[in-house]
Amino acid sequence: MSAEREFLKGNEALAYGALHAGLNAFYGYPITPSSEIPETLAAEFGQGNFPEFRSFLQAASEVEAINMVNGSAATGAKTMTATSGPGFSLKQEGISYAAGMELPILVVNVNRSGPGLGNLGPEQSDYFQATRGGGHGGYRPIVLAPDSVPEMAAFPSLGFSLAFRYRTPVILLADAFLGQLKEDLTFPEVSSSSFDTSSWAATGARGERRHVLASMHLELSDQNAASHALHAKYDQIARHEQRFDEVESDDARVVIVAYGICARLARRAVRSLRAKSAPVGLFRPITLAPFPHDGIERLLDRGVQNFLVVELNAGQMVEDVRLAVNGRARVNSLGQLGGLIPGTDELVRAAEAMLG
Amino acid sequence: MMPGQTVALDRAVVRIDAERCKGCDLCVVACPHRNLRLSTGYNRNGYHPAEFHYRGDRGECTACGLCYWVCPDYAITEVAKRRV
Amino acid sequence: MSGTAGALYETTLGPLPTLTSKPTHYCAGCEHGTLTHLIASALEALGARERAVLVNSVGCSVLAPDYLNVDAVEAPHGRAPAVMTGIKRARPDLLVFSIQGDGDAASIGLLELLNAANRGDPITIFLVNNAIYGMTGGQMAPTTPVGMVTTTSPRGRDLALSGPPIDASKLVASFERPAYVRRVFLPVMPTASPEFYNARGALEGARAVRHAFEVQERGGFAFVEFVSTCNVNWKMSVLDSKRYAAEVLAPLFPAGVLRDRFRMESP
Repeated sequence: MSAEREFLKGNEALAYGALHAGLNAFYGYPITPSSEIPETLAAEFGQGNFPEFRSFLQAASEVEAINMVNGSAATGAKTMTATSGPGFSLKQEGISYAAGMELPILVVNVNRSGPGLGNLGPEQSDYFQATRGGGHGGYRPIVLAPDSVPEMAAFPSLGFSLAFRYRTPVILLADAFLGQLKEDLTFPEVSSSSFDTSSWAATGARGERRHVLASMHLELSDQNAASHALHAKYDQIARHEQRFDEVESDDARVVIVAYGICARLARRAVRSLRAKSAPVGLFRPITLAPFPHDGIERLLDRGVQNFLVVELNAGQMVEDVRLAVNGRARVNSLGQLGGLIPGTDELVRAAEAMLG
Repeated sequence: MMPGQTVALDRAVVRIDAERCKGCDLCVVACPHRNLRLSTGYNRNGYHPAEFHYRGDRGECTACGLCYWVCPDYAITEVAKRRV
Repeated sequence: MSGTAGALYETTLGPLPTLTSKPTHYCAGCEHGTLTHLIASALEALGARERAVLVNSVGCSVLAPDYLNVDAVEAPHGRAPAVMTGIKRARPDLLVFSIQGDGDAASIGLLELLNAANRGDPITIFLVNNAIYGMTGGQMAPTTPVGMVTTTSPRGRDLALSGPPIDASKLVASFERPAYVRRVFLPVMPTASPEFYNARGALEGARAVRHAFEVQERGGFAFVEFVSTCNVNWKMSVLDSKRYAAEVLAPLFPAGVLRDRFRMESP
């Protein structure tokens, strides 16, 4: 694909974004509403347009897919998988191992609705599962939240650079809306850059030097040291990698906090409130983990007294906002469930209620 | 015989790392000439380690290597045969 | 060779640099250790140590990287074939192999094993089948014979309750693409004389391991099952466990070549 303008679904854009970022390997299992990602990659595999794209397989299960991801990533390859809620649950074991073995992997979750099978509509109900590390053992993934088709295309590149810089799983948390909606975008040149993995990748021993990728440390003191090292890395990530975006927040008295599809709704609400001269702004976390505490802190320093958290769940990110605010401002929550989204007018009314 | 000591017979030699040995008996029962036995002494882990021992009535070691291959602890570290 | 060999003696078998000096955690008389030695020997014979990657999943062999001096990647319980597929597809030049137990490969990891076999991925899987969960302390395995007492089948494996033992080699060989499927009886085998046991299994094992690597290098999927013992969890002496294996496991899991698409040069 050249630098022409394209008109693509979010899922297709994400697939091409990964290819432009130099994707080497993809393993996945079909699940709605993320299946356009493996479909797009299957169409490109072996066609010569992306010579770095060396490996594609439709696995027999989500579990097999994530472990194939770990195998390719263990050799230093840029490797990705994509799924939705139920599949994301199945992948948690593998993600936990990737965290423990310090593998750079990129996992896309196009969030659908409800527990169990739920439905295919958009929700943001996997926020806790993604940001807390849905698997066992207390790891902390990096979680990126795009809010547009161009960001669906751009974030695989960002995801890989973070994953390889910190040797840690990166989750790209989208939702059914972003996966399915179409926007126009332009891709950058295809990246052939690769990360230096020679100090850790399992590619064969050389003389005395060998690489053993292991999450297991049977000696309690060894596990203690390994876990502390992991958490020191997570602390470093939390200090340096908080990302967020702000709209009209300089003089805002109410700040809507929203990500993904809700950030788009909030932008419209802010526009219509500003048209009525209501001082309302938007704070959009781009990294859901690490949560952008520093950005909230700056808003508090500027005297913001009201936060309205809008998300497609029964209130998950609102807990992170409350932790960041720590009692220093009022935090209200507006949620919607089941694959439905709130109307802009609901956001406007909720913000106006906080303005008093 | 002390751990690690080598007994040289005419035809062949077996070297045993007695500290690796867990006294499982496999080399003893695998040797076609019964040239290995468990020591009455102990190694540091408390096992009776295998030792090379020419019994005399079943023929001497031919360096066949069966002990080397069956040993789960690769404690038979070397098999050598006399040059002719 | 230092020490023994010199002008008078010629070393025919010696220590292998592909083995670390760490003592194994395997119990006395366990075939896991024997297999470790056979793998090291085959890698050296093929000059393959520097392109070898071991995948260790959960079970007694999870500690194999402590003993085999090669690069290694850990896999969750049962997932070794998937991890190997990922490694091999990203780096076809590597020689990828796993050491798995019966619970790992034939129970929790059956999906991964059978799908890798169906694809015919060029990887090498060594299955140590000792008919019991060794590392977790002697629970019933997919390969436990009917009637065998384990901690989770305290009155013996019940056919009506748990079904018969699973034959992993037969399952793998039921697919078209695996190039090499072989079962080896690895323990020493009792003979007519109580003093002597036949060690043929280890020699057969050595050839099977080497061939399983060669098959991968020629693009084939290789699977070797080693019928083995677990005297500690079977609650037997080492030699009693060899007799039990010969009497009960050997007829249940008969040794033999189920498939060899690249015929072994020397049998």
